[in-house]
Amino acid sequence: MLQIYKRFWAVNWAAQWQYRANLLMYLAYWVVSPIVFLAVWSSIARAQGDVAGLNAGDFTAYYLTLLPVDIVTASITIHILASKIQDGTVSNALLQPVHPVLTNVLVDNVAFKALQLVLFVPIWIALVLLFQPPLTYTLGSLLLSVPVLALGFLANFLLSGIITALAFWTTRVFAINEAYFILANLLGGSFVPLAILPGPLQGLARLLPMQLWLYFPTQVALNRLSAGEIALNTALLMGWLIVLFMVFRAVWNAGLKRFSAVGA
Amino acid sequence: MTLNASTPPIAVQALSKTYQVTDRAGGFGAAVKGFFKREYKDVKAVQSVSFEIAQGEIVGFLGPNGAGKTTTLKMLSGLLHPSGGKANVLGFTPWERRDGFLKTMTLVMGQRNRLSWDIPAADSFLLNQAIYGLSDAEYASSFGELNELLDLKEIIRKPVRQLSLGERMKCELAAALLHRPKVLFLDEPTIGLDVSAQARIRAFLKEYNRRSGATILLTSHYMADVTALCERIIIIHHGQIKYDGALSDLSRRIAPYKLIGLDFDDDTVVDLAPYGQPVTRENEDGMQYVQVPAEKVSAVTARLLAEQRVRDLTVADPPIEDVIERAFHE
Repeated sequence: MLQIYKRFWAVNWAAQWQYRANLLMYLAYWVVSPIVFLAVWSSIARAQGDVAGLNAGDFTAYYLTLLPVDIVTASITIHILASKIQDGTVSNALLQPVHPVLTNVLVDNVAFKALQLVLFVPIWIALVLLFQPPLTYTLGSLLLSVPVLALGFLANFLLSGIITALAFWTTRVFAINEAYFILANLLGGSFVPLAILPGPLQGLARLLPMQLWLYFPTQVALNRLSAGEIALNTALLMGWLIVLFMVFRAVWNAGLKRFSAVGA
Repeated sequence: MTLNASTPPIAVQALSKTYQVTDRAGGFGAAVKGFFKREYKDVKAVQSVSFEIAQGEIVGFLGPNGAGKTTTLKMLSGLLHPSGGKANVLGFTPWERRDGFLKTMTLVMGQRNRLSWDIPAADSFLLNQAIYGLSDAEYASSFGELNELLDLKEIIRKPVRQLSLGERMKCELAAALLHRPKVLFLDEPTIGLDVSAQARIRAFLKEYNRRSGATILLTSHYMADVTALCERIIIIHHGQIKYDGALSDLSRRIAPYKLIGLDFDDDTVVDLAPYGQPVTRENEDGMQYVQVPAEKVSAVTARLLAEQRVRDLTVADPPIEDVIERAFHE
């Protein structure tokens, strides 16, 4: 199995390099909205002194940490696979004795973000020099954020796999994804840090999985959580991983039964 | 399920597939109505199809567009779940999609790519080696054999997007056969290729079948593929089997007539209507043709020789395209 992943890596890594210009454009898209939120919230905080206890520096540090977290945990599965399900070309992958999502698409996601990070690091350094945020990282918090990011990515990957598999039923899967994307940004901590959300919404957001691959790893890296909070969120993340895996498997298998392989 | 020597590698029983498709008229009004209330209709793509294919056979699966050929191949290769019926391929139910099944069969769809366009085919071959769990020795031997038949060495080093269609099709076939499948489903394997590339692919398939003993079910709109490769054909139309038997028997059963070709002294044009049904052929060889029932060929030939100044005379079976066309619509 390891050999299969290694070969998929070789193929996808080489293929990603063919599209590096494309990747730069994606990167611009990825960077713009957190920078806008950073600018908006830090201006408000500067004007008011603070927002719910967070000052301008806190917002800058939060959004400049959220940026790489988002890149590491994001999933591009829908862009890789949905149109192939709709036009039937996923057939080629379905003929092979490996699960296309859990092998090729997973590795393609990783190759995409690996190359994206290579291009992103100099941009991030420039942004840090520009905004001079009070980054509260410690060696321990950074090391701890590595497994949290990995698990967070896997959970997000499975959720995006579930949304992508809806393409077996509907041709409007990108519209569904857009709606989800807005909800995920709101409940995951992109539009606002979770602490600012109103009470009931914040309570809901903390239980839902989206914050586990955005807000939670960001706070871990910034060393802002107690050991108890880290343990609780990690347990929640593991629980969601199991649930998402089971739902993904069920939806994918049901989708295959419906698959009509049109045109291919 | 176990497979013994007498079990055919492909056995299909009353296999059916019905698609549900949306049905609406054109125009804005219909689009608005369709937004609120969708109407569906059932399309019976395959209706209770049954056949068996013995080990090592190459069978042509023929029919006009939309006849149900590709749908049947997709069910037999595990891509589609049927609406009814049974199929057994190498001891497996295809749509259960077990690894053991996927490792022993292949489906090649003409012009469809298994290979990644951005990298040389050689890299995709190595990926297939890992996916199908081939040892280095197995891979080397399988690749060596395919290279010998398809002359791949040079072309697999170029990115796939830079290959000609013929070169790409060779690589696609090689990628689909590296794991030495025992059953091959080929859907229009020569489509879009020029005549010489078609001939090379045909020669390759014939040789691959001879060497490996693989069972092959292929669809093609090129009768040259069928006549070169298949002793047996299955004709399907509107999802139902119209003919299953030897290609050589088809003319006798479906079109029991012969074509008499005639060349007259001084290139005279003779009215052939009294002898049979005159036909025009496209090859413009200067001969006139008349179609006569098979049992009357000797009598009509004798009359023609007696009554006309015949320089040359040939008797041939009707072209296979015409016979198959007739079989579709019977």
